[in-house]
Amino acid sequence: MTAVGANVQRSDGAAKVLGEAIFGVDLAVARMLHARLLRAPVAAGTIRRIDTTAAMASDGVHDVITGADVRNERAGVAVFDNPLFATDYIAYEGEPIAAVVADTPELAEAAIGKIEIEIDEVAPVATPEQALSPGARLVHPSWADFGTIGGIDFGADGNMVAEIFSDPGDVDAAFEQADLVVEGSYSTPRQYQAYLEPKMALATYEGGRYTVQVSHQYPFRARDRLAQVLDVPKSAIRIVGHHIGGGFGAKLDLGLEPYAAVLARRTGRPIKMVNKPEEERLTAPCRENAVVKIRSALRNDGTILAQDVDVVFDSGAYANNGPAGASIPMFMYASIYRVGTARIRSRMAYTNTAPTGAFRGVSGPYLVFAAERHMDQIANELGRDRREYRLATLAADGHKMRNGQALEELSILHKAFLLVEERAPWAEQIRDADNASNGEKLRGVGIAAAVWLTNPQPGQATVKLNEDGGIIIVTAATDSGSGAVTTGLRQIAAECLGLPADRVAVTMPDTDVAGFDAGSQGSRTTHVAGRAVYDATAQVRQRVLETAATMLEAAKEDLLIEDGVVRVAGVPDMGLSLAQVAMAANFSQGPIVATASYTTPPPPHDPALTKGMLFNTWPTPTYHLHLAEVEVDAVTGKVSVERYVIAQEVGRAINPDAVMGQVVGGVAQGLGYTLWERMDIKDGKYVQRNFETHGLPLACDMPKIETVLMEHPEPAGPYGAKGAAEPSIVPVAAVIANAVSDAIGAPIDSIPITPEAVLDALDGLDQ
Amino acid sequence: MTADQKITVHCTVNGEARALEVEPGETLLRTLRERLWLTGTKEGCLEGECGACTVLVDDLPVDACIMAIGAVDGRNIRTVEGLSDKLSGEERMNPLQQALLDHAAVQCGFCTPGLLMTLTALLEQQPSPSSEEVEAALAGNLCRCTGYRQIVDAVMAVAGEQRP
Repeated sequence: MTAVGANVQRSDGAAKVLGEAIFGVDLAVARMLHARLLRAPVAAGTIRRIDTTAAMASDGVHDVITGADVRNERAGVAVFDNPLFATDYIAYEGEPIAAVVADTPELAEAAIGKIEIEIDEVAPVATPEQALSPGARLVHPSWADFGTIGGIDFGADGNMVAEIFSDPGDVDAAFEQADLVVEGSYSTPRQYQAYLEPKMALATYEGGRYTVQVSHQYPFRARDRLAQVLDVPKSAIRIVGHHIGGGFGAKLDLGLEPYAAVLARRTGRPIKMVNKPEEERLTAPCRENAVVKIRSALRNDGTILAQDVDVVFDSGAYANNGPAGASIPMFMYASIYRVGTARIRSRMAYTNTAPTGAFRGVSGPYLVFAAERHMDQIANELGRDRREYRLATLAADGHKMRNGQALEELSILHKAFLLVEERAPWAEQIRDADNASNGEKLRGVGIAAAVWLTNPQPGQATVKLNEDGGIIIVTAATDSGSGAVTTGLRQIAAECLGLPADRVAVTMPDTDVAGFDAGSQGSRTTHVAGRAVYDATAQVRQRVLETAATMLEAAKEDLLIEDGVVRVAGVPDMGLSLAQVAMAANFSQGPIVATASYTTPPPPHDPALTKGMLFNTWPTPTYHLHLAEVEVDAVTGKVSVERYVIAQEVGRAINPDAVMGQVVGGVAQGLGYTLWERMDIKDGKYVQRNFETHGLPLACDMPKIETVLMEHPEPAGPYGAKGAAEPSIVPVAAVIANAVSDAIGAPIDSIPITPEAVLDALDGLDQ
Repeated sequence: MTADQKITVHCTVNGEARALEVEPGETLLRTLRERLWLTGTKEGCLEGECGACTVLVDDLPVDACIMAIGAVDGRNIRTVEGLSDKLSGEERMNPLQQALLDHAAVQCGFCTPGLLMTLTALLEQQPSPSSEEVEAALAGNLCRCTGYRQIVDAVMAVAGEQRP
């Protein structure tokens, strides 16, 4: 192998370091106008009056619209709850109320200030606890009538959007047999994706079709959702993607696209929209705040007889794809450890806060935080070593999760324990931490394990052999930074065709041109789109060999392709370049082009075991073990990460440097979530409203991260690759909280672990 | 004064003397991106926090989003587009740009131009910085993708080459 496993450089790299790369926000077209949104200034209220007269008369204004001027039906991914504009009531701060089109963004902004609105503010339903309490005001009074995808019943009730449930019926009996019951409650805040490029859209309407230029992680979803919102055929919409300045899940659903599209049609001019930084922060689909409660029934020997898990998380004002995320507890509990039987209940609640949504490792960081804090808690109560207890409780290959799906390769996680042990022997870590601790500096060690998935959703790729022997991959897969498209897909095609990767180019997404692809989510691109690329390239290879066999008067089976030349095995001086073959094909049977598609087939499972699942299985699992050593300053409460060790299973690292970039980047986001970042909500409104108060990780905050990539090639993956980009964020909060709890000798069961939280925990210990 | 009234600002942009007709209140970032089409400099937070708009003014890194255009009169401005010689074809990346690619230190790339300008200023003042000095210099440049490690590694590689 030459291309696969090499650190091939990303095809957009030069453009990005030279400043040539055109991101969505950089776009401009002739005759373009600019639009801005008026957003709700309160978290909840009734709109009494909207008067746009003065705004319409404002300098340079072309159009002003509200919900009364456009189709404003409720729409959504899972639940059809979200109108374009609030008309009668406001469901969250930042909800769009009106839009203004003007010659410049500044003139549009000035006109926004001239829209008169009267709102009767009401007390927001600010937290899930409040939302689910008896008699709570309904965030959406008429929402019993809202449609859902496929008419699925998510068990909606009161402010509860969805309830996912699994109860084998024997849990209470198991608790009656217990020698010991351990219970804990684990709470986590929101996390803002904090991509640097604001959301944007540039829409044109020509000849009855909408073209929207975007920087979007999932162009086909943008197309489909836009068709839903505008009530036009999907074929009337073309989405064209550009470089994406970060997404991390926040650019998977609609943003500004429908507003720009509607206004382009109304004005007959191209409309560009870009969110202001504060709008971005107020409306981004943050990782949801959650509270997880776990009770475990134990025997004195440490055997877990049963677990009872209750997850409540905050949907915010609209559901987005939340019901899919609400399925994930079914795979995070009673999966990697033997817990006897388990009852798992997962609920999401509407509140008068910004809608939450997808952020790298959807649900995983807080579910694993709770699961692995709980494992430490059990081990401590039993007086068992925390690592040894995990190993003793780890399930074996074939262990079935709550959906009935077997984890066939769970022993990889056992190997991960051994690999981390080689690098950072647990007993030595514990001893060194104890020795290094004194009254002011407290050291502690934590360990946490997780299983994560590779998103299975479909992708298609077309591979074309050009007449110069170069390859073009046509795909709607997007690269929001990982390199999965700009390195991975190219390397897979290059390897299959025996070419250097620099002979392979890949298109930007265009829904008119490329086949369906489910976008950059869930670490799916290298595995799923990569498999489509591999299968298409393999067909191209066959066409090349067939064409060359005729030209060389040789048997196809005797041919091989090396460095872009087709040769007859054993006859070194006889060969044809791929260019010669491509030209010959063009003028005989036609250009050498092939298209292939792939979707991961759902693993065998039993749908009867769970209720309400939108996401039924956990395909192509990968296994992860993190270990951290921290130092806690007992005077200031500051936590610093002294050592961080990871064993991550990746199937096969197509591009090791790119995988490492994902691993380190995911840990950085996880450390931010755990230690520094704040997205507090007070009375339904975000408290931190800029980067200065937010607390994103800086270069000087990052510890050295020691990573072992474990390769267990997956037969269904291209050259064995599984997903690798998401999962490193998943165990971080758990492992850091375990280490801090160990250091200070007091449990830390909520994040962020701020200095104040540490000092409070230490004070609690002193009392 | 209405928005139509313009002032003239004289400055050098990437080595070229310019007389810029601008609105008095506009930022250096807006001038660069919207009048000169130097879109390599990115617009991130518009409050001087993220560093995506970093350019060099008289060799010092500044956030162009909060610098008034009037303040650069008579001064020398460099942007990411000025880091390399556009006319020299294939070999147009400077060692720092190349190092970022060699170390896989570019992901989404939105922070990259600003970060390059900060690092350029650092290496001009201190050709062989320690990794702590590199990290300190980057305190004004947010990168959400990489976790910074590969960026620091890239700078250290360039710095190492420049060590005697």
